[in-house]
Amino acid sequence: MASLLQPDRVLYLVHGEKKIRSPLSTLYFCRYCSELRSLECVSHEVDSHYCPSCLENMPSAEAKLKKNRKRICNQLNENFRCANCFDCPCCMHTLSTRATNIPAPLPDDPSKTAMKKAYYLACGFCRWTSRDVGMADKSVASGGWQEPDNPHTQRINKLIEYYQQLAQREKLERDRKKLARRRPYMPLAFSQHTIHVVEKYGLGTRLQRQRPGAPITSLAGLSLKEGEDQKEINIEPAQALDEVEPLPEDCYTRPINLPEVTSLRQRLLQPDFQPAGASQLHPKHKHLLIKRSLRCRKCEHNLSKPEFNPTSIKFKIQLVAVSYIPEVRIMSIPNLRFQKECQVLLTLTNPVENITHVTLVGCEEGDPEDINSTAKVMVPTKELVLAGKDAAAEYDELAEPQDFQDDPDVVAFRKSNKIGFFIKVVPQREEDGDVTVSFKIRHDFRNLAAPIRPSEEGDAPAEAIWLTHHVELSLGPIIA
Amino acid sequence: IPIKPSGQKGTCANIAAGAVVCVESEIRGDVTIGPRTVVHPKARIIAEAGPIIIGEGNLIEEQALIINSYPENILPDTEGVEPKTMTIGINNVFEVGCVSQALKIGDNNVIESKADLGKNVILTSGCIVGACCQVNTCEVIPENTVIYGSNCMRRVQTERPQPQTLQLDFLMKILPNYHHMKKTVKGTSTPVRN
Repeated sequence: MASLLQPDRVLYLVHGEKKIRSPLSTLYFCRYCSELRSLECVSHEVDSHYCPSCLENMPSAEAKLKKNRKRICNQLNENFRCANCFDCPCCMHTLSTRATNIPAPLPDDPSKTAMKKAYYLACGFCRWTSRDVGMADKSVASGGWQEPDNPHTQRINKLIEYYQQLAQREKLERDRKKLARRRPYMPLAFSQHTIHVVEKYGLGTRLQRQRPGAPITSLAGLSLKEGEDQKEINIEPAQALDEVEPLPEDCYTRPINLPEVTSLRQRLLQPDFQPAGASQLHPKHKHLLIKRSLRCRKCEHNLSKPEFNPTSIKFKIQLVAVSYIPEVRIMSIPNLRFQKECQVLLTLTNPVENITHVTLVGCEEGDPEDINSTAKVMVPTKELVLAGKDAAAEYDELAEPQDFQDDPDVVAFRKSNKIGFFIKVVPQREEDGDVTVSFKIRHDFRNLAAPIRPSEEGDAPAEAIWLTHHVELSLGPIIA
Repeated sequence: IPIKPSGQKGTCANIAAGAVVCVESEIRGDVTIGPRTVVHPKARIIAEAGPIIIGEGNLIEEQALIINSYPENILPDTEGVEPKTMTIGINNVFEVGCVSQALKIGDNNVIESKADLGKNVILTSGCIVGACCQVNTCEVIPENTVIYGSNCMRRVQTERPQPQTLQLDFLMKILPNYHHMKKTVKGTSTPVRN
């Protein structure tokens, strides 16, 4: 029976650029627009970077300015990789540092040996160790491990500087043209996120809007200060060679040593070396993960903002739909029979603290939102009243139970802020597949967000507006 | 400390002196256990289709199952079936919940938790079979192989896993304080063949 509580049995329709049907637990509610929002109609922004194993934080703004601009290639590396933690090159698990005792001669007296600690990196999952690739044991527990240098670093740095200059020049020219048309009230943070013209070395408007942290936009942001002379950077074009290194003579006859061959995934995770042999697989620093914040695209308010501290899972702002919209859940389904009326028990939960009035309305013929239903549904016509959510109710013995005078044909049970009610379903199609019904749920919502304009005459701040949502339920197959 | 011998004559377990075998473990059939081997409570060593010979320094943890069973298509009562001996070498570790039916296991292997070795595999030395990996291919696993991951990927490691001497010493001291042990035979024992 737990399968009836699965979130994807009950879907709410979101009106956005695309009509998305999704369970209430995955949706957000913008209380300024008073509308449901799904993950596809909000803009995702990077809040901060953190390492998943050592939980060290690195805010994005600081990360960009951290290192000397001359070593740009390494800078981009260190932006998004942790300084202390390593990934196993073989299975991508996090490496742990292990210690062994080795006898080492004392510095004062070479004839005596003392036990010194030597540290090496080891993977607990695939048992890879740093000794497998010939990395010597270090005498310090952390900070001694270096990634090998890329022989092409200099050339890549030069190319990046050249293209960065080019991108800046083009951006300046474009900004000069756009100056007259730029909207004055758009916040500065946004001009980096919503770039309306395709940049030549950028990724296109839509992609740029979804990933504002992409390297090309961050390069454009690192601009030289206005009065500095812009050094002309010239690059030599790449030279094509006629002669290529010949293959080794035993290329076709040498038997393959399979454990030594790296897999594609192992190879491509190290794009600067792409080693073909497992004995050249060096560990890389661990990639950072991001904390992201969500923003409504219409009113630019934040819908979800996590806390800064990586060890905290709480949110500073968390406007999730389940805390504002009453949730419909399926409680029990009888055997569904073709063209026979069945009674399904649903529950409705009130997430807010004040009393909510809910009316259910069936979908009319030709409703453009009603595309998936395969059965006729008769919903209760009377208004359902839901009590407010009261966290202290179970401890308060003296409180009188509120009397709502429920119609026993409609309301099966009532328990604090939840009621169970019946709907009648007549499956219309005999085919395989789930019986799907849909209806509209209309409820009152008190907006507790601060009004933009101060209300005159001191109105009560909570004015109810009525919201309507389209709900689809998947009731399972017909049992013949 | 020793409480009772297990099984009948001719099919009793020969537990060498120095082995620590908890009485809550289930040992059925003709099983020989070498010295310095530790068998935890709730481990099961079942010699159905032939004897099992376990070497020294092995560590068999809780709910591990080492079973010498009949091949699937042969009934236990069929005549003319040769009993095959299962041999397990020294310094092996059978972690919690693993199942091993492999007939030949060498030295210094580690069979991690909930791993499943079928009848057709033969482990050499220094192999590590990762947690939850099921291996039933008809092959001899080369030395120092590590089998890991949900797809049973393999790689070769450069050094074999160390014998768990510290852990064995610790257990041999502590286990008798909390559990009763099975009775050991004095001196070396030779396996009894049917």
